[in-house]
Amino acid sequence: MTATPVPKGTSFQDLIQRLQSYWSAHGCVVIQPLDMEVGAGTFHPATFLRAIGPESWKAAYVQPSRRPTDGRYGENPNRLQHYYQFQTVLKPSPDNIQELYLGSLEALGVDPLVHDIRFVEDNWESPTLGAWGLGWEVWLDGMEVSQFTYFQQVGGLECYPVTGELTYGLERLAMYIQDVDSVYDLIWAVNPDGSTVTYGDVFHQNEIEQSTYNFEHADVEHLFSTFDFHERECNKLLAANLPLPAYEQTLKASHTFNLLDARKAISVTERQRFILRVRTLTRGVAEAYLASRAKLGFPLAEENIRKEALAALEENK
Amino acid sequence: MATLDFLVELGTAELPPKSLQKLSKAFTANVIDGIKAEFGREAKTLLADLQVNSYASPRRLAIKITGLVTEVPGSENLVQGPPIKICYDTDGNPTKALLGFAKKNNASIEDLSDINGKISYLQQLAAKPLEQLLPEIINQSLAKLPIAKRMRWGANRIEFVRPVQWLVMLFGDKVIDCTILGVTAGNKSRGHRFHHRDDIVINTPADYEKALEKAYVIADFAKRKAIINAQVIEQTNKINGIPQIDDDLLDEVTGLNEWPVALTGAFDVEFLSVPQEALILSMKEHQKYFHTVDSNNKLMPYFITVSNIESKDPAKVISGNEKVIRPRLADAKFFFENDKKISLEARCEKLKNIVFQQQLGTVYEKSERISELAGHISNIIGSDPTKAARAALLAKADLITDMVFEFTDLQGLMGYHYALNDGEDIEVAQAINEQYLPKFAGDELPESKTGITLALADRLDTLTGMFGIGQPPTGSKDPFALRRATLGVLRIIIEKNLDIDLKDLVSLAVKQHKAIAVDDRNSIIEQVVSFMLERLRAYYEDRKVRIDTYLAVAKLAPTKPLDFDKRINAVEHFRSLPAANSLAAANKRVSNIIDKQIPNANQNIDTSLLTEASEIALHSQLTSLIEKLEPVFEAGDYQGALTLLAALQGPIDQFFADVMVMVDDQKVQQNRILLLSQLRQQFLKIADISLLN
Repeated sequence: MTATPVPKGTSFQDLIQRLQSYWSAHGCVVIQPLDMEVGAGTFHPATFLRAIGPESWKAAYVQPSRRPTDGRYGENPNRLQHYYQFQTVLKPSPDNIQELYLGSLEALGVDPLVHDIRFVEDNWESPTLGAWGLGWEVWLDGMEVSQFTYFQQVGGLECYPVTGELTYGLERLAMYIQDVDSVYDLIWAVNPDGSTVTYGDVFHQNEIEQSTYNFEHADVEHLFSTFDFHERECNKLLAANLPLPAYEQTLKASHTFNLLDARKAISVTERQRFILRVRTLTRGVAEAYLASRAKLGFPLAEENIRKEALAALEENK
Repeated sequence: MATLDFLVELGTAELPPKSLQKLSKAFTANVIDGIKAEFGREAKTLLADLQVNSYASPRRLAIKITGLVTEVPGSENLVQGPPIKICYDTDGNPTKALLGFAKKNNASIEDLSDINGKISYLQQLAAKPLEQLLPEIINQSLAKLPIAKRMRWGANRIEFVRPVQWLVMLFGDKVIDCTILGVTAGNKSRGHRFHHRDDIVINTPADYEKALEKAYVIADFAKRKAIINAQVIEQTNKINGIPQIDDDLLDEVTGLNEWPVALTGAFDVEFLSVPQEALILSMKEHQKYFHTVDSNNKLMPYFITVSNIESKDPAKVISGNEKVIRPRLADAKFFFENDKKISLEARCEKLKNIVFQQQLGTVYEKSERISELAGHISNIIGSDPTKAARAALLAKADLITDMVFEFTDLQGLMGYHYALNDGEDIEVAQAINEQYLPKFAGDELPESKTGITLALADRLDTLTGMFGIGQPPTGSKDPFALRRATLGVLRIIIEKNLDIDLKDLVSLAVKQHKAIAVDDRNSIIEQVVSFMLERLRAYYEDRKVRIDTYLAVAKLAPTKPLDFDKRINAVEHFRSLPAANSLAAANKRVSNIIDKQIPNANQNIDTSLLTEASEIALHSQLTSLIEKLEPVFEAGDYQGALTLLAALQGPIDQFFADVMVMVDDQKVQQNRILLLSQLRQQFLKIADISLLN
């Protein structure tokens, strides 16, 4: 390809490495992606479950995300059914969280005295996760490159302390930094001999085939019964006091729902019902997870908050 | 008295731009009210010269008060207790009641006295330094802000719009020692996020604005707004365009900047083939860009963005923004081109899958109903029934185009473009665009007759349908915006001079609904018509017509809005006449008499029973007037009629001065009541004048 040479150190994989080392240096556990289909980094247990209860937590990770309805058969330069998010969660959210975030942009080579960086009000809500929060979209010269959320509620439970969640849209950010107009033109890696591998080399065929599967081949009847199965399985596991495997069943049900949505198999009124079913599962998981951590005495919590939380649970019994 | 300047600045993470002004205004009002409450009755004199400045930017809410009195003066407060007679027992010793009262007021019995038979204590309230009161005033003011959703952050229970980061509280040059919303007050503020990273020391309230400006923050909202406005105009001039500055957008952009710098970017001219409203909306809603037009009012291929930085390389900011808008406009173009491939007519079939309202059926069924109804309305108002029915049938088809799915605000307008593309009649296309007019108070009305027909049919269908299934608007619940829809119908009828009876219109609409049982029709019609007449009250309030004028006409419940309107205008004109007040009073008097003594309607006035000169005069004047009024009423000239009736003022006043109505002679009494009732009947052909105040 003939694109202008990419500035050194800004390949797709470089960006991921820089973010990981930046957040690692700021005390985050760098963990690996969840090995399941999810719609966003928020679904990773390292965010969803860790946001529940009084325990402190700092983590950063890449999460491959699948949104079947966003597939465009590899034809749209900005839309993908499979893409990457970089997720950082800080609990409790530190007072300088915005400054930390801006530091990460500077680590990626963004000069805040050249570029126009803005925090624009954005309120987030996930009906399936029973979660909501307030925060911002972060604009870089008018482009939304990150989402910034202070979780207020997760799985129907009030968040205390509050988790600050930073989600970077890696492809967008990379397209901006590399100055390309199509995601497929992104330089994924620069080899020692100077040759390059593009995002298209890695993922274009996948976009075409997966879009075809999502929109045309996914077996609707089977998916409906799969959804029912995961719902049953989740409830069974909750009854057995196994919130972590139960949560995985919730994720499977949620992805199944997304596939059915892509097949346009769910009518408007039915949609609400399905969302409610998933929400009921996540709520059950959240409560079971909280109880399981309480049993362990919330080992990762700050002492005063731990006591406060245990006392509150005792009172509610 | 001694005065000092006061400054409070609450530093926060970026606040929501759309509510910034509202928050700032409420904060200022609450603080001022709080201070005034401390001064009580003295506020009027001591706080008369307050000069208040409010500041609001993304990261701060601040108030500066110049010349604030430093001390709430001492005062006396009289506290009264139980009656003196129960304060002492028969031996003259203090009772429990007295001791209790003394204890409650922390007073000794010697301090108490008897005032007007009650034990009383004249409390001496010491003067209080305002400095000690200000923290709580600020605290309360922040707690009472109109915040839709409060949030928490970190590991504390404090709640605010966004995380609170610092607090400046100065009284003169002294920091007021306090902690509010988790932050301790100081004299250090912060400047622009990137241009000025160090703290700024504010020495005195008077220094505040300048100190911030040095740190790249224009704290005054109005000043920043004016700067942005001027910058946008300047940018527009550079490209020889005409600026299009929407005030709401300007406010929002002002709420997103502390140090605004407007920049102009360009987009590819190929996008101009898309209806410009779609491009404008895309730029405005997603990117907060201003657009410009040329001298032909055509959109120019530029946008103006207001950045929050004096960039070292503005070209980078511009090219970054151009990169964002390109795919957005490309989406709009793709939607437009793609949508045109399927005709509106072909799309109608898909409306069968969209539920309008569970009991009222699909949008397709609604289209069928309004098509039928539009045909009938055409016959009444003289529009082309074929065109009206066609426009109604296609009216909702654009709801399932990609463009309208993306930009709901373009409904109707896209239908217009797609209809033209399909080769539909121009008036049909125009009507599809006009169906949602008026969209808000003061908005324009549909122009074309077909558009008027469709706009009426669509709203009447929804209105009668919702009443029909027992879901009229209640209190604040009006999910289908029936109040606004009704106002739209009334405005169209009145302002487009349509001679229509609401009863006819509503009956036709009710008949189209399968959901309304035949037996229920009459009661639904009655409910809807009276709901609509009640809405006229809001319409006339908007038009600044006095409420009693509305009530005087509404009493007669004329169901033709145009006729209603003529009566309103006649009464308003009548009220400008010198005779109005005394005629209204006379009508009230007559109405009171008639209410008690209902006259026999079949009886005529017996002239032989008229004895007093002034009743004879009134009768003869009235008789000749009735003759004159007949053709005037015939012509529907209410104003002319009332003007003629005004001539009765003299005779009526004379009548009431000279004549006793309730005399013992029943025949005479009845005769006089008849005379008055006849007079009142003439007024009641226009309005119930007795209701005027």
